[in-house]
Amino acid sequence: MLHLSGASYRYAGYSKEVLHEIDLVLGDGEIVGLVGPNESGKSTLCLVASGLAPASIGGSLRGTLTLDGQPTAGLSTYALAERVVVGFQNPNTQRSGIAATVFEEIALGPMNLGLPVAETVRRTHEAIARLRLEALVRRDPLRLSGGQAQLVGIASLLAMRPRHIILDEPTAQLDPAGTRLVGDALRALAAEGTSLLIAEHKTDLLDGLCTRIIAIDDGRIVLDGPTATIFDDPRLAELGVEAPSRARLSRALADGGFDPSVVGAALAGGVA
Amino acid sequence: MIGGYLGPLVIVAIVIASASVAGVAGRLVRLSLLLTLPIAISVVLVSVFTRAGTHVVFTIGPFDATTEGIDFAGQTLVRLLAISTSIGLFGITTDPRSFVLDLERRRLSPRFAFVALATLEAVPAMVERASVIAAAQRARGLDTEGSIRARIRGLLPLAGPVVLSSLTEVEERSLALEVRAFGRPGRRELLWRMPDSRTQLAVRGALLLALVATIVARITGTFPQLP
Repeated sequence: MLHLSGASYRYAGYSKEVLHEIDLVLGDGEIVGLVGPNESGKSTLCLVASGLAPASIGGSLRGTLTLDGQPTAGLSTYALAERVVVGFQNPNTQRSGIAATVFEEIALGPMNLGLPVAETVRRTHEAIARLRLEALVRRDPLRLSGGQAQLVGIASLLAMRPRHIILDEPTAQLDPAGTRLVGDALRALAAEGTSLLIAEHKTDLLDGLCTRIIAIDDGRIVLDGPTATIFDDPRLAELGVEAPSRARLSRALADGGFDPSVVGAALAGGVA
Repeated sequence: MIGGYLGPLVIVAIVIASASVAGVAGRLVRLSLLLTLPIAISVVLVSVFTRAGTHVVFTIGPFDATTEGIDFAGQTLVRLLAISTSIGLFGITTDPRSFVLDLERRRLSPRFAFVALATLEAVPAMVERASVIAAAQRARGLDTEGSIRARIRGLLPLAGPVVLSSLTEVEERSLALEVRAFGRPGRRELLWRMPDSRTQLAVRGALLLALVATIVARITGTFPQLP
């Protein structure tokens, strides 16, 4: 379990806090979606929940982060990396630049953990299979398209086999097929007990994937609840977050005088 | 005393012959000239016109070009060529990532390996970024064509974004590496080993011996004078 308690964070060199009193619990096997307008603090929350802020980038954190019951204060970044990983928006910066092939790029994390070669290779093959990257393994990581680079970046994190995964817009550069692929892989990881926090603008992905949604605005959690409840909440639109297609369709049906539950059941049964 | 023309020219010949075997002689010559030219121009000007000598070949204004100066410039030029062709051949025929990983296998620190590689790749990465930014700015009407003055005026505003975005990217990349436990102390088990034949081993040994012998000869002054 990842538990962030009363967390307020201020970047180094700034006087103003950008996160305020955040309480967040990620249970084992739980997938939590994080939504909010631009500059609401989603990326910062990802950094704080991963421990990189302040362990690596500095700044000041009030409150505590515990991973599986153990406080992370004072832990080095490599010690954190064995338990929690975070993927960033820009796939170009996810690439190490020191690997000659995609296979070596994905293997870099397990290698850094000091694992025997056989285990590193096993984990690498497993991550490649999860995201169906077999066709890319011999390619130069610096010569991939944005979408391919994003998949390789995610695979590189999966190969670490952490207990907790935090992803900041993991499908920003992916087409619908790639997005579904990532969704399937994350769902499978959650089924194995990994907890996931996913900051995403694509609410359709979150709608089909998450058990819980958190909405953040101006560094504060403003909505937190089951996925369907939050995505049906009209306050989401006030935050500038577009509800997923299912919720918008349901609302349009209700506005048109139809009973969304009846239409939904009919659609699910293939009658319509 | 090592000097003269023969030694450096022999090195240039060996390097170019090796490059021919590797099929990169043309690229090597172009690259070497490109590397040598800016330094060569200043070396020739300084050596030819400022080096003291007894036999004046020609005079330009207050400057005398002497035989000794021309000879010194010639010797320096062939040395520069020997250096630039050697470095050029290494750069063209060696994948930097394979090279650095092989150094790591030979007990170089992974952090040092990363810094070495980042340095090797910094310039091409920055050039690529600059061309992307320049293309984006051109699409928005920035004039980067025409006379040299116009180009400089057009390109100067790009320097800031190129440098700043490079720094941001380095910061994000180092974070991404930390996420993957790059800072963990202790050795890593690398996945592969560079092919290293007996011939390569023998040639490396011979080159190392030659280097040591040359340094010793240089210090002791026992190396025969080359023409």
